[in-house]
Amino acid sequence: MAVDYAIEVESVVKRFGQLRALDGVSLRVRAGEIYGLLGPNGSGKTTLIRALVGLVRPDEGHVTVLGTKMPDVAILRRIGYMTQAAALYPDLSVEQNVRFFAAVNGTEDNVDAALKFVEMSDRRRSVVAELSGGMRTRTSLACALVNRPRLLLLDEPTVGVDPQLRRQLWDGFRVMADGGTTILVSSHVMDEAERAERLGLILFGRLLAEGTARELTEQAGVQRLEDAFLKLSEVRS
Amino acid sequence: MNMRRVVAIWFRILAQFRRDRRTLALLFVIPLVILSLLYFLLRGGGSKPNVDIVNEDTGPVGSVIVQALEHGDKLNLHHTSLATADADVNNGRVDAYIHFGPDFTTGAISSHRIQIDLRLEGSQPGASSAVLGALAQALQSAVSAVPGGAAPFTVSVNPTYVHGGAGFDTLDYFGAAFIGLVVFFLVFVVTSVSFLRERSQGTLERLMASPLRRGEIVLGYMLGFATVAFIQSVEVILFALYVLKIHNSGSVPLIFLISLLMAMSAVNLGIFLSMFARTEFQAVQFIPLVIVPQVLLSGVVFPIETEPGWLQAVSNVLPLTYAVGGLRDVMIKGADLSWASVQLDIGVVLAFTVVLVAAAAATLRRRVA
Repeated sequence: MAVDYAIEVESVVKRFGQLRALDGVSLRVRAGEIYGLLGPNGSGKTTLIRALVGLVRPDEGHVTVLGTKMPDVAILRRIGYMTQAAALYPDLSVEQNVRFFAAVNGTEDNVDAALKFVEMSDRRRSVVAELSGGMRTRTSLACALVNRPRLLLLDEPTVGVDPQLRRQLWDGFRVMADGGTTILVSSHVMDEAERAERLGLILFGRLLAEGTARELTEQAGVQRLEDAFLKLSEVRS
Repeated sequence: MNMRRVVAIWFRILAQFRRDRRTLALLFVIPLVILSLLYFLLRGGGSKPNVDIVNEDTGPVGSVIVQALEHGDKLNLHHTSLATADADVNNGRVDAYIHFGPDFTTGAISSHRIQIDLRLEGSQPGASSAVLGALAQALQSAVSAVPGGAAPFTVSVNPTYVHGGAGFDTLDYFGAAFIGLVVFFLVFVVTSVSFLRERSQGTLERLMASPLRRGEIVLGYMLGFATVAFIQSVEVILFALYVLKIHNSGSVPLIFLISLLMAMSAVNLGIFLSMFARTEFQAVQFIPLVIVPQVLLSGVVFPIETEPGWLQAVSNVLPLTYAVGGLRDVMIKGADLSWASVQLDIGVVLAFTVVLVAAAAATLRRRVA
């Protein structure tokens, strides 16, 4: 195999009643790449991510993750999934939350490192219910990467996060990617998406365009990614 | 006070009800279901207590009383021998037997006293009092018809009990059932609400995207809540037995075993049903749907034998029926594991638990995808 792909999605269709949440999506993400999935609310980003972890079974097409056809429970050990809302146990402490997800994956030895990565070591005893939104997001991220994932799926990880922390998180993602972790980040915030190495624009369950931020703006003949997105979506619809 | 603002709230509440069809259905359907159940239990039922008659009386008085009983039509009477009647009442096949000895008439006439030997099964207070009531009524009408009735008779019933007895109060009879009910009810509510929280706070999604298998999630939940349920059972049973001094003729560990099994089936019922609720509010609505019919039909208050036949069929598929039956057998009759009825009760509760574990695990996937 010439290129090692962490994610291979082939013509995936998922219907919910009348709605085609995914309407023939195909995309590939190389190992160690940071891929940005860009699209407005309801465009199919979350459905695609859920298909990647096997929580959504495609009506058509195939999903292969880390060389394994999904759904497959065993490979989930190698995947970190940060859901849209900070899915945590509010009455447990930060450390208890992280330790629980570590125990589920058998990586209790990595709890301290994960807390350090999100800079929550000094708040480890705080109860999640009493934390600010940004701190919950960081705790949630720690839970997603405590199993030393080879693929990290982040569903709108920086919603409600202040710019300073957002920069810190992205610096952290870069370090992880350099260490060989593939990262897929969904977002509807354009300036954030520009930090990804490669972008996919998704709308109405279809992948409209793919490329670096520069390639996409050049393709649309505009300056800003936001304009590129608007223009490219007009052409297709 | 601004009426327009009040009306805004008024209409908004009605609009919300129109959206929440399930709540609406519950509000209008459940009262009819519960009242109908009560109707069938209290009025439509009326299957009569079974009583064996052993009439060895050589004189006429015994027969007169039996005729009065038949005329009163409050009991199902079977004529049999003393040995059979004794076996019947010990096995619980009949609720009581009435024995008229060979010299019943002579004794009555010489002493001007009619004394009835009544042997009651005793574990169902409702049946015992029905028998006693029917007998008292029959005696009253019989005394006037007794030959030689010129002399006044004093009438007395001398009841003896296989289980329980005159020393038993209502709490002794209902305590066993309520120990089971309290544990079942609380464990069910706590489990269904907390499992629903797992779903609503998004952590279930996380668990499903982890290497955890569905069976592991359900089993982990069961162990977690079973631990709490175990401590709760210990507390409830010790309090009932040693503080309230509810009568117990059986083994305390066996009572623990039955309550714990029932708690486990309540845990899994809670997980299973929480799959069908989207909010904690809806989960709470399962209480009238799941708990109230079980309270009415599982023999906690109304003996199952007095229900109409089709309702007995419903009772026979409710897990609480078996748990309550088992607890009653142990605490009132002093049953142990060698009793077939206790084996059946424990087996059925165990089977319910296993079925519910499988059902909970099966619905888990369906609801996440």
